[in-house]
Amino acid sequence: MRDMIKMVVVLTVLSSLSGGLLAAIKNSTEDRIEGQVLQFVQGPAILKIMEGASNDPISDRFTITAGDEQTNFFVGKYNGTPKVVAFETNAAGYGGPVGIMVAFDVETNKIKSIGVTTHNETPGVGSLVEKDENFKKQFVGLDVTFEPKVNKDGGSIIAMSGATVTSRAVTAAVRKAQVFYEQHQSEIKDKAKSFTG
Amino acid sequence: MAKTISQEFIKGLWTEIPPFRLVLGLCPALAVTKSVENGIGMGLATTFVLLCSNLLVSLLRNIIPPKIRIACFIIIIATFVTVVELMMQAYTYPLYQALGIFIPLIVVNCIVLGRAEAFAFKNPIFPSVADGLGIGVGFTLALGALGAVRELLGSGTLLGHAMFGPGFQPFAFMVEAPGAFVSLGLMLCFMNMLGKR
Amino acid sequence: MGDLLVLVISCIFINNILLAQYLGNCPFLGTSKKMETAIGMAGAVVFVLTMAGIITWLIDVYFLKRLDIEFLRTIAFILVIASLVQFVEMFLKKSIPALYAGLGIFLPLITTNCAVMGVCLINIQEEYSFLQAVVSSLAYAVGFGVALVLFTGIRERIILGRVPKPLQDTSIGLITAGFVALVFIGFQGLV
Repeated sequence: MRDMIKMVVVLTVLSSLSGGLLAAIKNSTEDRIEGQVLQFVQGPAILKIMEGASNDPISDRFTITAGDEQTNFFVGKYNGTPKVVAFETNAAGYGGPVGIMVAFDVETNKIKSIGVTTHNETPGVGSLVEKDENFKKQFVGLDVTFEPKVNKDGGSIIAMSGATVTSRAVTAAVRKAQVFYEQHQSEIKDKAKSFTG
Repeated sequence: MAKTISQEFIKGLWTEIPPFRLVLGLCPALAVTKSVENGIGMGLATTFVLLCSNLLVSLLRNIIPPKIRIACFIIIIATFVTVVELMMQAYTYPLYQALGIFIPLIVVNCIVLGRAEAFAFKNPIFPSVADGLGIGVGFTLALGALGAVRELLGSGTLLGHAMFGPGFQPFAFMVEAPGAFVSLGLMLCFMNMLGKR
Repeated sequence: MGDLLVLVISCIFINNILLAQYLGNCPFLGTSKKMETAIGMAGAVVFVLTMAGIITWLIDVYFLKRLDIEFLRTIAFILVIASLVQFVEMFLKKSIPALYAGLGIFLPLITTNCAVMGVCLINIQEEYSFLQAVVSSLAYAVGFGVALVLFTGIRERIILGRVPKPLQDTSIGLITAGFVALVFIGFQGLV
């Protein structure tokens, strides 16, 4: 009986100490972790597509809720006025989802730039999407109503050689972003304007 | 147990170096050694857990009832693994991303539980700490070496610096799964040739 | 339905737990010397992994996420798996002795089999629904079995050949596993 009590006491004390320690560490690192996620997951793509912005697009952000999903929007200011918004969408590629950050010009409703956030494509083939600027440039300037398609599907986007699936995924992700932007246009523009000044 | 503390430390570096001599902890050794940096990062995270769990298990060895020792070890190890997980998220996010689920999986790394059971539970604090540190450093060196071979051949870089001229065609096989198995197998063979335990 | 089929194929072949995700390699090399032990291990993994996948999914969604204590996931999962293994062992011993005789000695080894914990974490990370989690756990376990049995078949033959001394045992085993993994790379892009 004494053994039994000892076992229970030891296990309880150990578990509660562990729980307490972890809760304390969790609380003290929470904010830092959130910042790191934004900085390293979406950050590089955001900074690249908003080159020349006068603010820090990662800290100037707002969210829009559609259904159950919350989307983060990042605002880029040029000459003091919020001119560009960027947000992330994804579509299935060869090795899982390909995440694309798409930036829209809120004045002209045209795509300003796109960047890759996450992917798991074949090294040396689909993974080249990270660096292949010529491929990504093809999306720049497309109007929000224009549906891009890769050349194999009868469209104008020239797919990266040997990586049609990845190219299709990027195209599909951009299309998703266009549709979302069109549907929530007024809300996006209103919220972006609030960053004026 | 006539071994001195320094001997306990040194055995982890050569005669019992995991995963070559003690064939344990293969999964992280295969999975995260695409580059030197990841290999060493994983090694250090494991070392931290090993050191702390050995220390605590040894401290509590007279308090923990033998019947429930495995449960207690698991709680102790899991606690430190979570500490590492949170710390890495907060301070070295890119490394945390690269190592992925292999950080929480340190908890089922047989090396850690094995050392707690086979050594720390039976020995005083100083030898236990030396043992944990030795095995941990050995594991780190081994992963670093494996990472170096794979990174050099698979990406043509070492710690991110290009080692060969631009004409070098990376040997992509090495960074994929088969290369992991084959290079670990060859390194084991090399260690066998170098000497007996 | 079609989606689930794709998931099954991708879990068994494309993302094979042993050869593409690098999980569960200790038992992979440890129990692959004899066909009998390999089949026993494969059976035990299929059994425990499926159950663990289901239980940890329920715990994560209805307990950890509700209470907002997801940072305790690692501890919760390992404790669940460890006690599940104990429980399964006791249950089989009492009620299905025939099955226990077959799987018994492999059960304790499963607690530290990272394939089990790994799949539970993958189910959560990929945000699978309950049905998807069940299917993926089962499919990953089957993939483990398929790879283990295939590999054991090859390894049983290697013993017959003349292997240079330093390459013997684990070393040649790993190199062989590398070539089996190379074969499995061929499945990439199947779906």
